[in-house]
Amino acid sequence: MLKDKVKALFDEPACGVNQAKSEKDRKAGCSKPLTPGAAAGGCAFDGAKIALQPVTDAAHLIHGPLACEGNSWDNRGSGSSGSDLWRRSFTTDLTELDIVTGQGEKKLYRGIREIAQRFAPAAVFVYSTCVTALIGDDIDAVCKHASAKYGLPVIPVNGAGFVGSKNLGNKIAGQALLDHVIGTVEPDDVGPTDIVILGEFNLAGEFWQVKPLFDRLGIRVRACVPGDARYAEIAGAHTARATMVVCSTALVGLARQMTERWGIPYFEGSFYGVLDTSESLRQVARLLVARGAPDDLIARTEALVTEEESRVAARLDPYREKLAGKRVLLNTGGVKSWSVVAALMEIGMEIVGTSVKKSTPEDRERIKILMREDPHMFESMAPRDLYKMLADGEADIMLSGGRTQFIALKAKTPWLDINQERVHPYAGYDGMVELVKQIDLALHNPMWAQVRAPAPWDEDGNLIETVVALAAATSPSPLQGEVKESAVEAAQPDDSFAARHRKKFSESRVENSDPEYLARHRKKFAKTDADDMGEC
Amino acid sequence: MPQSAEKVLDHAKLFHEPEYQEMLARKRDTFECPASAEAVEAQREYTKTWGYREKNLAREAAVINPAKACQPLGAVFAAAGFEKTMSFVHGSQGCVAYYRSHLSRHFKEPASAVSSSMTEDAAVFGGLNNMIDGLANTYSLYEPKMIAVSTTCMAEVIGDDLKSFIQNAKKKGSVPEEYDVPFAHTPAFVGSHVDGYDNMIKGVLDHFWAGKERKAGDTINIIPGFDGFCVGNNREYKRILDLMGVKYTLIQDASDQFDTPSDGHFRMYSGGTTLADTEAALNAKATVSLQAWCTRKTLDYIGETGQETASFHYPLGVAATDELLMKISALAGVAIPEQLTLERGRLIDAMADSQAYLHGKKYAIFGDPDFVQAMARFVMETGGEPTHCLATNGTKAWEEEMRTLLASSPFGGDAKVWGGKDLWALRSLMLTEPVDFLIGSSYGKYLERDTGTPLIRLTFPIFDRHHHHRFPLVGYQGGLRLLTTILDKVFDKLDRDSEVPAKTDISFDLTR
Repeated sequence: MLKDKVKALFDEPACGVNQAKSEKDRKAGCSKPLTPGAAAGGCAFDGAKIALQPVTDAAHLIHGPLACEGNSWDNRGSGSSGSDLWRRSFTTDLTELDIVTGQGEKKLYRGIREIAQRFAPAAVFVYSTCVTALIGDDIDAVCKHASAKYGLPVIPVNGAGFVGSKNLGNKIAGQALLDHVIGTVEPDDVGPTDIVILGEFNLAGEFWQVKPLFDRLGIRVRACVPGDARYAEIAGAHTARATMVVCSTALVGLARQMTERWGIPYFEGSFYGVLDTSESLRQVARLLVARGAPDDLIARTEALVTEEESRVAARLDPYREKLAGKRVLLNTGGVKSWSVVAALMEIGMEIVGTSVKKSTPEDRERIKILMREDPHMFESMAPRDLYKMLADGEADIMLSGGRTQFIALKAKTPWLDINQERVHPYAGYDGMVELVKQIDLALHNPMWAQVRAPAPWDEDGNLIETVVALAAATSPSPLQGEVKESAVEAAQPDDSFAARHRKKFSESRVENSDPEYLARHRKKFAKTDADDMGEC
Repeated sequence: MPQSAEKVLDHAKLFHEPEYQEMLARKRDTFECPASAEAVEAQREYTKTWGYREKNLAREAAVINPAKACQPLGAVFAAAGFEKTMSFVHGSQGCVAYYRSHLSRHFKEPASAVSSSMTEDAAVFGGLNNMIDGLANTYSLYEPKMIAVSTTCMAEVIGDDLKSFIQNAKKKGSVPEEYDVPFAHTPAFVGSHVDGYDNMIKGVLDHFWAGKERKAGDTINIIPGFDGFCVGNNREYKRILDLMGVKYTLIQDASDQFDTPSDGHFRMYSGGTTLADTEAALNAKATVSLQAWCTRKTLDYIGETGQETASFHYPLGVAATDELLMKISALAGVAIPEQLTLERGRLIDAMADSQAYLHGKKYAIFGDPDFVQAMARFVMETGGEPTHCLATNGTKAWEEEMRTLLASSPFGGDAKVWGGKDLWALRSLMLTEPVDFLIGSSYGKYLERDTGTPLIRLTFPIFDRHHHHRFPLVGYQGGLRLLTTILDKVFDKLDRDSEVPAKTDISFDLTR
């Protein structure tokens, strides 16, 4: 039964990669095969939990031994504008005796009862885990019974850890929403400009930088799933006129099925980068107008885009001088690579490499257009190679997720977190400015000079002659000298280089606004897999 | 009344009770002719303006909240760093009570010192008799191995001459002829405690070295300087020097004196540089001062004996520790052991891990000249800006050195140096040009309250927090403590700024 479910989830007509596969390959599923003995990412439980956890007014009850919840409690920086119930840690905390004597279901039922009575949540999501799945607890039945008894939605999420990868867990979460949540509430204020956004996690509250744009256009975000979502919003999501899938294929299946069931068209877009944000706004407007929204929406969207783009360009100006020519390595697993590349190149930064592990052959061609000279694409890079590249000084900064941060730091390279644990919002027009500001800060911290300089004595601890002379003078130290030097360099950048860079990429911007290019560009985000869920 | 025998309220709570609040308000209204709340508020606001700042900085006569102590405090601290030594302060006894309480409140340890208890007749006829009686009593009551004599203002104003007084006392039999009674004139109206430290160390060395022939050897003398963190720091210095295999003498080591165990024994004296070592220190190859502004006269004096001298400004952080280790390595001809290179790498690693949270933070720093200099340098190493650097006992020469230091880094570009200014001046500076954090002593807590700037306590005196001085700040290991202390405050502030449920808690993050 489980096998059938998983198979169904992997058969995704909306996924280009999936459809390009042979029948046999498709059967194997789309997530990376698990490799016993190799360092690995999270499990299906983790994937399911992170995909639903940001639903703020629901209680998230983890049915299993303590550690499943204990290790994952409050580990995501989604922002909530209301309830903080979602951050509470609820678990049935099964013990050995419970497992041996089969008390799991009873304990779960009592757990739901207590939550319902004490917290009166909008809903309870119940997550199964390896242990409770193995001993055969029927959480569907318990949820159904508890739901009837206490008069609130109780949704079973059957994503035990052993079922598969984190990405599969994401899909299972999406399926749970479709099976139990969406369409269960009929809003009384349906309008022609209602949209749903799927796969937006509101990390560091970044969706709040985007939502005002929709507000200004008179577009109502009926539900943003799951970032800062209320249960009732998701339950009424089927009344939306269009869906935007942000970043993650994890929920594209959900989007497709919403199209099939309720006829809501969807597109995949991104709020990272100036061009992507603009294009996403345009797409939303187009889809809405096609379904009967007032025609002037398109013109108003254009006006907004023009205004915002010129504003963001002005705000990025101060950084051009400071950052021109700095070399960036993007190692983020596809998603942000391309949406951010254009913007960083716009201010004259050099992209020395970017991960293309999820890009199709056409995408690679586009990369070549975008980067013109020396497109440095690499498949997923082994930590060892990454370390070598950074240690050899081939980049001034690496932008990546937390997993590779220590590779950068140990290789003495500045690093900026652009994934899920970051604390700065990077979405939308303002987010791009924030990203550039953070890059500037990370790059120009004086301690990098110290990180890079070896100890001022030789390997045996004996003084090096030139340094002895310097040490004799009390100040300034050789290290401080170096700091100063790099700062001077930053303050007075090589104009000709910056100019050369701007010239080099001046034309690529024109190409970037080519609708055909953008259409394909958009496709890139469809190649996201397990590791990127919630990281985009 | 809210107070009852069953449930005794602590004073922190008691006076918040309505009965007391009403009583205090009544008293204020009836007897104190108070200004209106609006007038008080207007005045408070006025003190935050640039206009007030200009008047405040132009102030010449009154000093308000000085961040310095007097010479004899430094002398008493200095004497505590020698074996079984009792400080004898010639002058009025109230002063001595201050030094003892000051040191005791900081170290949470007993601090012994005696006074010659001069009174009005001594002021008129001179304090010789007080010296004679005082030395005799100290010698017999407390059985020290050495009595270190310094002076309060009273003795200095009437011009008592310690050298002849001590000789007279010895002739009168107060103490044996050959008994060690070094001395230093330490008028409080000149300089500050760092000069008192300087004078006392010089006095002790001169006592043991005068008239002796130096036979150059291969040890290295280390003078730590006036340091409220001596308990942790001196032990760290010793650990580093032992690791390097250097032959050294710590001249003045109060780490054990101010950190005695609770094991049933009262130790009036504990540890310290032995008198024999102090005497033998004349024959050292070189002397290294770790706080240059605390040892100006002493180093000149030592230089005259033919020793090589070097000085530092309190080695905080990576570059400053590098310099110290390299100098010692060069002087002693020893290599820097791998252990220290590893510790260095670990400190740098820690700084890199946390750099994003420290970058661009602005600080106001106050304290003794060496501390402020060292701290400003460390802050700049982490990408912070030492916006206001203030030392009430900082001289023009110090200001010059500070400016050179600040000019060596882009992070010092906007920083200003304030020698001779007090903490009331700093209040105006912080209100008109705000900073993120204040680094200094416990006396900064009033500034923390008035300006809302979190205070990071990293220098003497720390009265209102316990045991900080037991952990080293110097060297690479100390650098970790320094870094952590600053970061704790940074994160505490982040948490405090994001803790209101459903309002500001969006960034109340578990992982930072």
